[in-house]
Formats: sequence, C-alpha cells, structure tokens
Amino acid sequence: MIQNLVDGILTGSIYSLAAIGMTMVMHMLRFANFSYAELLGIGGYAALVFDRLFAALVPALGVAIEPLTLTWALVLAMLVAMVITGASAVLFDWLVFKRIRAKADALSMVFASFGVALIVRNVITLIFGHKAELYSQDIAFAVVLSRDPMLLVKPDQIFTLVAALVLMLAFHLVLTRTTFGYALRAVAENPNLSQVSGVRLSSMVTAVWMIGGGLSAAAGVFYAMTNHLSPVMGHNFVLPVFAATIVGGIGSVYGAVLGGFIVGIASGLALMVLPSGYTPAMPFVIILAVLLVRPHGLFGEDRDA
Amino acid sequence: MIGLISYIAFFATMAGIMAIAVLGLNLQWGNTGLFNGGVVAFFGMGAYGTMILGGRPEAEQFGGFELPFLIAFAGGILAAGLMAWVVGKLTLRLRHDYLAIATFGVAIAFESVTRNAEWLTGGAKGLRGFPRPFEAAIGDGFTYGLVFLALVLAVLIVVYVGLERLVRAPYGRVLRAIREDEVAARSLGKDPARMRLQAFIIGSMIMGAAGGLYVTFYAFVSPQDMAPILTFQLWAMLIVGGAGNNRGAVLGAFLIWGAWTLSGFALARYAPASMQLYAGSVQYILIGLVIVGMLLWRPQGLVPERIGKTFNDRAAKAPTNTGAHQA
Amino acid sequence: MKRKLTGFAALAALAIMAQAGTAAAQDCAVKVGVVYPTSIDWGKPIAATALWVTDMINEAGGIDGCKFEAVLRDDQSDPKVGVDAAKALVDLDKVQLLLGTVASGVTIPMLTSVTAPAGVMQMSCCSSSNRLTQIAAEGTTKGLWFRTFATSNVQASVAAILARDSGYKTISILYKNDDWGQDIAKLAAAAFEAAGVTVVGSTAITDGQPSYRAEVTEALGAKADAVYMAIYPKEGISVVREWLSLGGTQNIIGTNSLKSDEFKEAVGMRYLANFQGTDTSTPRTDSATAFVDAYTAQFGAAPSGPGLPNSFDAAAIALLAYAAAGKDAKGADIAAKVPMVTDPAGEKIGGTVEGFTKALALLKEGKSVSYQGGTGAVVFDANGDVSAPAVAWAFGDSGIEEKRYIPLEEVGAFMDSMAK
Repeated sequence: MIQNLVDGILTGSIYSLAAIGMTMVMHMLRFANFSYAELLGIGGYAALVFDRLFAALVPALGVAIEPLTLTWALVLAMLVAMVITGASAVLFDWLVFKRIRAKADALSMVFASFGVALIVRNVITLIFGHKAELYSQDIAFAVVLSRDPMLLVKPDQIFTLVAALVLMLAFHLVLTRTTFGYALRAVAENPNLSQVSGVRLSSMVTAVWMIGGGLSAAAGVFYAMTNHLSPVMGHNFVLPVFAATIVGGIGSVYGAVLGGFIVGIASGLALMVLPSGYTPAMPFVIILAVLLVRPHGLFGEDRDA
Repeated sequence: MIGLISYIAFFATMAGIMAIAVLGLNLQWGNTGLFNGGVVAFFGMGAYGTMILGGRPEAEQFGGFELPFLIAFAGGILAAGLMAWVVGKLTLRLRHDYLAIATFGVAIAFESVTRNAEWLTGGAKGLRGFPRPFEAAIGDGFTYGLVFLALVLAVLIVVYVGLERLVRAPYGRVLRAIREDEVAARSLGKDPARMRLQAFIIGSMIMGAAGGLYVTFYAFVSPQDMAPILTFQLWAMLIVGGAGNNRGAVLGAFLIWGAWTLSGFALARYAPASMQLYAGSVQYILIGLVIVGMLLWRPQGLVPERIGKTFNDRAAKAPTNTGAHQA
Repeated sequence: MKRKLTGFAALAALAIMAQAGTAAAQDCAVKVGVVYPTSIDWGKPIAATALWVTDMINEAGGIDGCKFEAVLRDDQSDPKVGVDAAKALVDLDKVQLLLGTVASGVTIPMLTSVTAPAGVMQMSCCSSSNRLTQIAAEGTTKGLWFRTFATSNVQASVAAILARDSGYKTISILYKNDDWGQDIAKLAAAAFEAAGVTVVGSTAITDGQPSYRAEVTEALGAKADAVYMAIYPKEGISVVREWLSLGGTQNIIGTNSLKSDEFKEAVGMRYLANFQGTDTSTPRTDSATAFVDAYTAQFGAAPSGPGLPNSFDAAAIALLAYAAAGKDAKGADIAAKVPMVTDPAGEKIGGTVEGFTKALALLKEGKSVSYQGGTGAVVFDANGDVSAPAVAWAFGDSGIEEKRYIPLEEVGAFMDSMAK
C-alpha cells in the first residue's frame, strides 16, 4: 500500500513535468495536442546522443555520480536536449500548427497533431531503430527505507523526483517573480486583452513551446533513466499526460502538477482494485471520474474555448 | 484478369466497410461537430456484438448463440448504439477537446476489456467467426467475393441515402445550427443536448454496422482489430474527403485506403532491398505527411461541405469554396 | 458518385496493371509471399531471416532452374493491412505459398479469408494462438496451414520441471498480455501446481505502458522463491530491471522469447546467474548451433529476439517443399510435399547452402529428407502444429548456453502425469 503510493508519486513527478507544458499549450492554442507527448521521445533520444558524445570527448564526465547511475555527461546532455526539444516544438508549430491556425478551426489542429505524432515517432525509429536503449547499463538497486511496511526506493527515482520538483519551483518563480512570467500569465488569462497591453502573442506562443519542450525533454530523460528509451515511449505517455492535464484543469499550471501526481498515484494503486491487464484503462477512468464531478477539472475555469 | 477483379472486389469491400464507418463519423463531426476520438470502440462494439450473437459456442464462454446473420448484425448495431448512449450521456456535455480525449480513453478501455474479459470476448486469442451469409450455397471462392461486395455496397447505399435525407431534412439543419451556434439554437426552442446525443448514437450505430460487416467478412475478431490506428485511418478519410459532405466521406475512404494499400504495394516492389525492412516506418511517415499536407493545403477536404458555412468565423477563416467545388 | 467510383477503380486497376507488367518482365522467378510486421522491432529480424533463407535456397539451386523471389509485405500488426497484403499477393502476384505472420490476430483472418479459400499454402514462424489448432481441427484450413512454433505446452511443462528440480516451493508468474502470454501463463500455472510448486501470483504485463512499477510491486508482494517470466525482451528489460532493483529474487525462469542479446545486455550478466530459460530443441544434433553460427556469419550478430530459428525453419521447409513440388505447383501440392522434407526416416540435412543443395537433389530424385533446422527436426501433426523436445538454457558470457536436454519422452511423461 505505502509502496504503491510512493511508486505513484515517483511516476507522477514525470507526468507532472510533461503536463505543465501540455496545459499551457492546450490553453493558449485551444487544441488537444496528440503529438505533444512525442516531445518526451525527442528529448530522451537527443540526450542519448549528447550523453555518448560528451562521455567520449571528456571521459571524466562519463563516471556515475554515486549512488546514482547519473553521469555529468548526462546532466549536460539533458540541458542540451531541453533546448533542442524546445526548438523542435517551436519548429513543429511554425511548420504545421501556426499555418493551420491561420486557415482552419482548432479541431483540424487536433487531427494534424495525430499526423505530426506519427511522423515524429517513425522518424525516431528510422534513426535509432526499434531497439531499447539505456543511458547506463548498471542497475541501481533500491534502498530499503523501511522493512515494515516494506518500502523500497531507488536513488535515481529520488533524484528525478527532486529534480522535477526543482524544475517546477524554478518555473513557479519565473511565473510569479518576473515580467516575463506576468506576461505569460496575462496571455494565458486573456490573449486578446494582453495584446492590447503590449504583449506580443506570437513571441509568447514561442516561449510556451520552448518551455513545454524543455520540461518534456527533462521528463523524457528522467523516464529513460529509471526505465529505458524506445521510439514508442512518447506514444505511451499520451493518455497519462492528457489525464494529468484534464484532472488539473486545462490552463492551470499548478493543476497540471497536482494532476500528474494524482494520475501517478491512482495508477500505482489501481492494481489493488483492478486485475493487472486493465492498467492501460486507468488514466481514462480517472479522466472520466474527475470530469463527471468537475467538468473543467480541479482548477480549470468555466469558459468556452 | 480474374485475380485482378478478385483483388479489386476485395479492396472495394474493405474500403466500402470503412466508408460506412466514415459516414457515421461524418454525421457526428461533419454535421454535428462532435469530436469522436474513439471511433474504434463503436466499430468494435458492433463487431464483437455481431460475433457473440452469431458465433459458435465455445467452452467456458458466454455467447455463441448462432443466431441468423441478420439478427446478429442488428444486435451488434444495437450494442454499439447502447454504448453510445451511455458514453454520450457521460461525455457529451464536455468541451470539444475534452470530448476528444474522453472518447479516446473509451477506446483504450474498450480494448482493455476485449483483451482481458476472456469469458465474454475470448481475450487476446479473439473470437472465431460463423459461416458467412450465403457461403454454404456459393462456396468461398471468387463469386463469393463479389456477393459480399454487393452486400457491403447495399449497406453503404442505404446508409448514404438515409444520411443524405436526414441532413437535408429540417433535422439536419438543426444539427448544423447547434454545431455553429448552440446558444442561438437553444433560443429557438431546440434542445441541443438531446439532438447531439441522438446524432452521436445514430453515428455510432453506423460505425457498429461497419464493424459487424467487417467481422462477418474476416470470420474472426481479436483485440488486434481494436488498435487506435483504425480511429486515425477513419479520421484521415473524413478529413481528406471533406467533413460535412457525405460524398466526400465516401471518396475519402476509397482514396485513403487505396493510398494506404498502394503505398505498401509500391514499397514492396520498388524500394531497394536494404530499405524494405524500414518500409513500415516510411509508410507511416508518408501517411502522416499526407494528413498534415492536406490540412495545410485544403483543410476543407477534397469535397467541401456545401451548405451553412456563411455565418460564423469558421467560414471567415476558411476560404470560400464555391468556386473550388468540383464534385 | 458512381462515376467517380468507377473512375477511381479504373485508375487503381491501371496502376496495378502497370506494376504487374513490370513484374512480369523479370523472367523465370517463382514468387513467394512473405508477410511479417517489419515496422515492429522484433518483426524486422524475423523477416530478414526469411529473406536470407530464400537467398540461400536460390544459391543452392532454386526451383526447377528458376529463382524464388520473395515479395515482402509489412502487416504492421494490423489485421486489415495484413489481410490486404495477403490478398494482393495471392490475387496479383499469384503466389501459391505465403509465409506469415506473427500476431495470431492477423494470421487467422489471413488464413480464413484469403489463403485457405484460395488454396494457397500458409506457413507461420510464430503465431501461437491455440485458436489456430482449433480452426485447423475443424477443417477450415484444408491442410494448407503449418507453423513452426511449438505449442506452449512443452515450454510450460519444462518450466515446471526446472522449478521442481531447483527446489522452488513458490513461484510468481509475470506474463505478456497477449494471446501467447495468456495461454502460456495458464498452462504454466497448471504445470507448476502439478509439479508441487505453488503459484502465488500471476500478473499481466500489457504492452506500451510507461511504467511497470505497479505490476512489479504487485508481483513482489507475493514474496515467491522464484519468478516465471513469459514476456518479450522490450517489456522484459523494463520489468526485470525494475524487479531486480526492487530486490526481487534472481531465481528467474524465462521463456524462449527472452533469448535475446538485447535483453541480456540491458539487464546485465551478473544478475542473470540464476536465470534458467526454456525452449524447444532439436533431438541431439548440431543443427541448432549450426543455425546460430550461420546466423552470426550472415548478420554479424548472434540471433537474438523471439522467433528467429522458427522463421528460418518455416522459410526453409516451405521453400524446400515448393522446390520438391515444382514451379507450377499449387498450394495443396506444396503442402503435400512438406512431409517429404520433414521425414524422420529421411537423410538428415542441415540448414546451410550445402545442406539445401543436397536436399534439393534428393527431393528431385523423389527421396525424402529430414530437415534439421534452428528449432530441430520439425514434424507437423495433422493440424500443422509441431511438438518438440525441450532444452534448458542460460545466459553465458559468450552468449546463450545450453544447460540441459529434456527428451520428448520426459516432457511427454510429465504432461501425462499432469493429466491424471
């Protein structure tokens, strides 16, 4: 029970990171982006390339930081991957979504995002192959935190949880303490009004994609550190990340964080109620349950898109 | 030559079955503005419903009632309608993008049930079918392919004509009015929630009919048939053909399914041997590009909707398409 | 509408005929359909293996002075796509032999709606559903259906024998949530109980989940002496790494699906010391090692991943039977020659170019041969199923090491004891 709860929190932190960007994008651009989760894959694989590169250039960077399997090379690679992923998110917007926004309705965008997801996933397959990839071959053994009740946690997971929380806090500070953050929130609250007051919508959209891409890349790297990389990993996140976003309420950053943890914990506890084969349906059950009680999510506002 | 005709009949059978499902989707999205992200669930409900009612008995399993084809088929359609009623009651009041995700989730949950509820659906090993209608009399060879094609086309025509009447009737105008401006429709004394639910159920029953024909033809169904890719394929057909126009929906089904199979055919034949093993990924990329390109180039589809797009911002954004109309 | 439809049909017909025309220009090629899920990770090497066998048999002499031409199609693990590919191969390429495919959910509609009605022989490497046995027993497949994948019974029984002999008292089962996994999990549970090993839990591992932590935690909770894993390498890597890092027992019994370098490398040798694998095997010949060596020479890496020896054997047996039947043979003629290739009384031939050359010569003389392939001396029963003796294997530093050979009699005796 306790173990399931803790596991849920650890998985949930990854959902939360991915959901932050998703909720902002969905709110500002008003469409359910089925390609968003593919950014996790881009981030994860970009980090793999640079991790290998850095470790080869400066072997000292390739040594694991005890007791983690993390290396400095991977830390640097993750930062590069965050930038690359953010840039590719901006690129997709510029190539596809921006043009469709200008021409057609929001739901064409939903459909276009299906197409983009298909392209991204298969390009990754063509480049890296279907094989599972790992940053580190080592298995980091879990530390026994308590024997009764049994509670095991891996150091890597603690690290990813802390790192995710730090990223979220940093983003919170940006939102609340900087002019840029105010502008971002203003745009999110009311795009039209904020334009009147001199905020450039287009640059804000770019910023949101950059931030979303960056956070997703971090989520992808954290996921791959504790699991593994595969071309379909982004696809596997589509439903949980949507669930986290909707549970929190579209547009609410704090809601997305909370939603991620709720989905993670609920999936962790699901097996106590459901037979194991039904786990893929769990995020959906959560979505439905929350929407039935609160049609706009926990922190969402009642307004028409 | 017989081989060619046989293949074309087979192709048209599959495309026809998918065209029926696309027509159902067109009623929901094209005419009523409901984004169904889980088409495969309703298709699957019709498929499994038909199979459980018409199939042969199995040990330790519910179903296998060996009912005559028409009754099993009707039962499958009703089952799809029933599921649409439940899902619609729960989700239709949601915002459109919430609806897309909720229905996407319905499809995942439905696949989970077919994979795990072995007593009902046979689990992952699937359900084997019943002898196809008239098969005993004609045999399963070349002629049968043509007979089944005739059956599919008959259903397609019935659905097409029925929907054309429906959308041209005052009922269809009300649906479009709700799609474009719900508040205005309500002020005219219409009940949008009720109308939407009806359209959702009818559309889902049509998808269920497609599912019923599909399993009858294959004489087999398994969770493998319930993958989300079918939803994607059907949406691609509607978008490319032109949402809101039934002719576009049918054209889109034949075009996209043709492109899907021809691209596999062409890659098998012309791609260099070393690339053969990547053909699947290349094919998905090409299909993704077609979808995205289509939305960029001509978001209203090849055969755009002809009526009722003049009074809202959707029309203002989309270029007026009277001149481009080339049906 | 009608006009457009006919127009489109005509267009499609034209396009297809143009392609058929170019194909006919190649002289003297006997086309063979190959349908495997090449867009799926483990599907690609399975297809590559089938193409490789085709090349080897062509090198060994081909068929009646002609070459086999393998036409490969991807089924994307999508029944619609697979059935369409099969239909196109049968109707347009006029193949009489079709190899494929993996997912039973695709293989079965291909068989029931395309190949069996058209009288085309179909042989699969890897479809495992017991539905296939049922369909064949009902006569739907007209004797045109074969598979080189031994039914899961053998492996499940061997797992139970291994668990009993290792002294495990309790065991937890983790299984892939598909037709094969559900089937083998049930068979294994029965076998373990029969062998006196208590099954304390059985957890489904569904494909494509972001995390298997909850499932692993669930299985760990049972605190069993050992764990039985009937999963594929991709999920296997996630599951086993998670399992080990959470302090799960290293007493693992795995199915042949985990016989993969990818799995071994990703998990790490030092954690696999107590890993015992099960597989079906050859009756004490070198053919299995010969397959591994030949495969390594061809692809630069040892065969890893499920179904590769099965794919090799499916292609080899089917093509040898085709060659024996001659280039104008129909599906039923080819199927009729299969027993000549797998005749236990025949001369033993291996899965190499030399072996194939010899086999082709003997078959031309009307003599039968006993093909010794990657999965052993395969013999099909009336439903196109194979059963085989078994082997226990383990991961070693140099690759897969065979640990123990379990003859068909011992497996059979165990299964009989279960039935009582």
